Amino acid sequence: MSDNVEKYIKRKVYKSTSSRIAQKFVDAGLEKLRACINCGTCTGGCPSGRRTAYRTRSAIRKALTGDESVLQDIDIWLCSTCYYCYERCPRNIPVTDMIIKLRNIAVEEGYILDSHFGLANNIFYATGHGVPANGEGNKRWRDLRESYGLPPLPPTVHSYPEAVKECQDLMKEVGFRELMDNAARLKEERAKKEDENKEE
Amino acid sequence: MTEIEKEIKITGNERPKIGVYICHCGVNIGGVVSVPDLVEYAKKLPNVEVAQEYKFFCSDVGQKMIKEDIEAGKVNRVVVAACSPRMHEPTFRIACKEAGLNQFLFEMANIREHSTWVHMKEPDGAYETAKDHIRMAVAKARELVPLEVQKVKVEPSCLIIGGGIAGMNSALDLATEGYKVYLVEKTATIGGHMAQLDKTFPTMDCSSCILTPKMSEVSREKNIELLTYSEVVEVTGYIGNFDVTILKKPHYVDQEKCTGCGICVDYCPVVVGNEFDLGLATRKAIYIPFPQAVPGQYTIDMDHCIKCGICARQDVCEPEAIVYDDEPEEIKIKVGTIIVATGWDLYDPTELKQYGYGKYPNVITGLQMERLLSSFGPVIGKPVRPSDLKEPHSIAFLQCVGSRNFREGGNQYCSRVCCMYATKQARQYKEKHPDADVYIFYMDIRAFGKGYEEFYESAGRNYGINYMRGRIAEVTEDDDHNIIIRAEDTLLQQPIELSVDLFVLSCGLEPRADADIITSLLRIQRSADGFFLEAHPKLRPVDTLTEGIFIAGVAQGPKDIPDAVAQAKGAASSAAALMAQGEVEIEPFFAVVHAERCIGCGMCVENCAYGAIELVDDKRFGTVAKINEALCKGCGACSGNCRCSAIDIKGFTGEQIYSIITGRV
Amino acid sequence: MSEEYKWRYGFFLGCVIPNRYPMIEASIRSVFDHLDAELIDLPGASCCPAPGVFRAFHIPTWLVIAARNISIAEELGVNPITGCNGCYGTLRDAWYELEHEFELKKEVNKYLAKINRVYKGNLEPKHVVQALYLDMGIDYLKDHIKLKFSDLKVAVHYGCHIVKPSDKRPWKGEYEQPQFLDEIVEITGAKSIDYKDKYMCCGAGGAVRTAVKEVAADFTREKLVNMRDAGVDIIIDCCPFCHLQLDLGQMEVNNIYGDIIGEQFNIPVIYITQLLGTAFGMDPNLLGLVKNHDLQGVSPFISVDPFLNIVKEQLI
Repeated sequence: MSDNVEKYIKRKVYKSTSSRIAQKFVDAGLEKLRACINCGTCTGGCPSGRRTAYRTRSAIRKALTGDESVLQDIDIWLCSTCYYCYERCPRNIPVTDMIIKLRNIAVEEGYILDSHFGLANNIFYATGHGVPANGEGNKRWRDLRESYGLPPLPPTVHSYPEAVKECQDLMKEVGFRELMDNAARLKEERAKKEDENKEE
Repeated sequence: MTEIEKEIKITGNERPKIGVYICHCGVNIGGVVSVPDLVEYAKKLPNVEVAQEYKFFCSDVGQKMIKEDIEAGKVNRVVVAACSPRMHEPTFRIACKEAGLNQFLFEMANIREHSTWVHMKEPDGAYETAKDHIRMAVAKARELVPLEVQKVKVEPSCLIIGGGIAGMNSALDLATEGYKVYLVEKTATIGGHMAQLDKTFPTMDCSSCILTPKMSEVSREKNIELLTYSEVVEVTGYIGNFDVTILKKPHYVDQEKCTGCGICVDYCPVVVGNEFDLGLATRKAIYIPFPQAVPGQYTIDMDHCIKCGICARQDVCEPEAIVYDDEPEEIKIKVGTIIVATGWDLYDPTELKQYGYGKYPNVITGLQMERLLSSFGPVIGKPVRPSDLKEPHSIAFLQCVGSRNFREGGNQYCSRVCCMYATKQARQYKEKHPDADVYIFYMDIRAFGKGYEEFYESAGRNYGINYMRGRIAEVTEDDDHNIIIRAEDTLLQQPIELSVDLFVLSCGLEPRADADIITSLLRIQRSADGFFLEAHPKLRPVDTLTEGIFIAGVAQGPKDIPDAVAQAKGAASSAAALMAQGEVEIEPFFAVVHAERCIGCGMCVENCAYGAIELVDDKRFGTVAKINEALCKGCGACSGNCRCSAIDIKGFTGEQIYSIITGRV
Repeated sequence: MSEEYKWRYGFFLGCVIPNRYPMIEASIRSVFDHLDAELIDLPGASCCPAPGVFRAFHIPTWLVIAARNISIAEELGVNPITGCNGCYGTLRDAWYELEHEFELKKEVNKYLAKINRVYKGNLEPKHVVQALYLDMGIDYLKDHIKLKFSDLKVAVHYGCHIVKPSDKRPWKGEYEQPQFLDEIVEITGAKSIDYKDKYMCCGAGGAVRTAVKEVAADFTREKLVNMRDAGVDIIIDCCPFCHLQLDLGQMEVNNIYGDIIGEQFNIPVIYITQLLGTAFGMDPNLLGLVKNHDLQGVSPFISVDPFLNIVKEQLI
């Protein structure tokens, strides 16, 4: 009996909309979001949409109606920022910038993939590069550089430790450090809650 | 306009007795400032004899109060402090006139739009500005002198620019009413774009069947002088008295001698693209635009004619109508009113590279589809696809092409007719090919008119047309020139990739590319969307801001045939109202030269945008400026620039303005 | 500027070019030198930051780090130039935004002041291809062509951020069907082959590759299938991340989607300056085309030897 209840009874009826997410866009000067008439041009030409569950238009609509799942699902992270939607929107909405802003809001609320968190916290913050060539694990890349007649480390932050510190100081000032710490904390809390629920 | 029987004579010896009437305007003014206090203030101003308040001075009761004071001799100048002159200046001027006071001894102080409405949250500030406005108006009133309206005759004739369905309807209405009409049409035939249509929605009337009788009527009507293949090149003058120069382009075929037999066409060796069929068919250098053209005489397209001389041979053209050395002819006419009904151009979708128009052969516009469906078109009403001339088994229409586009340089407006014409075309095709898959990709379906929703319902239910809600993002072509469409079915949140045989772009309507020529010829304005600007969007849809010039049809904005005809009739009625009166009043606010101060420098002549000033020889003062009151619009450019203060604008003289300024301070 | 050099740029390396595909760096340096364009180093430059990941995490961080990178070039009085679409997208979009929002520029400079830097915005960030096509011009490039290919079929891959957002790019608003990279390719005698969805994204960017590799690989699979169906010999690109996705990604497609692609892919992936350099008659060793090492697990993952063979057959 209760299996059927599990299977068929959904009771998913939205009781209201919320402008919580939309207001963040307005405050950031991205109020053009509200001009969307759901024509579907963005999703129609989306190279990701035709192979994943990501629906550009639905993501924007969820932001407008305040459906929180848009911040929690992986879908918005499957946009490759090819910018076709941005170029073709008849209401002149910079769609890609909206998706990026949605990602910003998601990270603010602690919704970030583990792989991305690692990239941001352990690689970008630590080295100043998104794809580094320093450290033991990357020796072969330095050797590769030398094989082409280049110095093993490029004249970037890799060769100027004071530049790495500059970047880190900037990131602290502008709030990146705090953002990452906050995200880590929220992720941990959620993971704990899920474990508790599982035990029940 | 009532005629006055009595008039109070105002002479220079009389002191101004100003009556100030301060209106509450409900709570608009009275709810923000204290009107009784304003009344007390007004009473203290010099030359103010009477100051009164009332809730609504524009009402009959209010007006009566003013009239009584005038008739009793208590006041000989009237100031009403209330709303904007644009609202009620005419109302109060007439009230003065009815009471026997010259209507230009009236001045209005706007203490609503300029005071209480803009300072609703600062009543103290509003009160101060209201006092200022009243004081300035009283200062001006002190200096007012009686003026007379000018009456000018209105020629009982009308120039209609554009011979499409709107222009023709206006022409017929006016001609029936007895007015002389000059119908000028740029191309070699009247009929306009409607002649290119096959059937018309929602009745599915054959367009030619309802259009050609009108065309014949126009050519038969004695009061209409039909000037096809002609263009207006100059317009000067003013309401009721326009001087128009029309250039009749040379046909190179004598229009009297040509019988329209068409034999010359068979012999002409030059083949070019046919504009009427939008490049889908050809015509010869000697041609008529389409079989039912009116007039039915032929024209030679001299840009492509090679002057081989074959058509001029006597065995080809028996009436010997060919005239290779034909010259353009200029004619000058005088008309009282002008109606602009110049129509539209179709949006050119070439710039939308994602839709492949011009690159893939099987992408066509809605108007090209119309020609394919037409019974006298290139395929006699059996549409085929351009790549292999086979009948398509599947067709997709895309709506809103070139319309509702807020990108840089896009047309933001909705073109109004495309939802219906696509439904119509889809229905026509399904009628003959019930098994074909016909899709209409849309953002919204607008079926607003009489019979339109029923037509749309039937399209789905009876004809099985697939309405897909999702604007197409991009198309590509496969090896067979089939069109692959990428869109989202937004109602299912599902991306789709469809292959169709033919892709039709329902392009929108745009203002004519040469609309700028009309705006500079007639000095009328265009609205932000590029169509001609009406005087008031709700209450004056066929007038322009230039008196005597009217607009009708799509020239004013996209619309369907019923609305175009209704507007054409409206424009004809407005023009007729003017011409029926025989004369029209012009406000006397034009420039006047004080010859004794004028040094004849000529700067005003250069400054005048209307060519209303010229230098003449005055016996006493030498070379001085002279105003042509008929052309003067009272703009004040001459007066403002005159170094000798020698020009005044009546009703806004230097003294009056100076009085206001000192009154303000 | 030294007497022989006609142009001078600050070479913004980014991450992927120096740290994963140094052969691209080698070819850009060699070709620019050959064309009398000087490339000076921008010491202490960091990740641009990558537009798909770091801008997505925190826009203000992205803006401030990007401004810092541009300020390094400004200090040296040169336009920053990059060979990467991602870095180009970041530097250019940041520059455009800061030039149009005065308040934002003031804010950013407040942060930069804390590390004793200042952002002025007077030097436009450029792409290597922009410099080749707009600064130097096709005719100038043609003058340096010594050898031409007789029969080389190329799948040109533009990538996304060099062209879009089109309002912030120097290509006069063209984004649906740009031609400039095809033009540069064709002066070498190679033929740019039209293939289905030529302008489609490779799938790497926008954090997709770092989120779910398989999704990015499916984009790449679609592109590779279309290129193969059109019958191309090599792929030419102008972005190292696309290059990575089409190269390492090609290997991933062979593994992940091996069951649906039929034959395994092995189309050489070549960067635009590598192709140009060969047509200029330059030594392939200077263009990063020759393997001089025994390292395992490094780029290129799909051998470029077939291209070198074509070079030997058709050019020499």
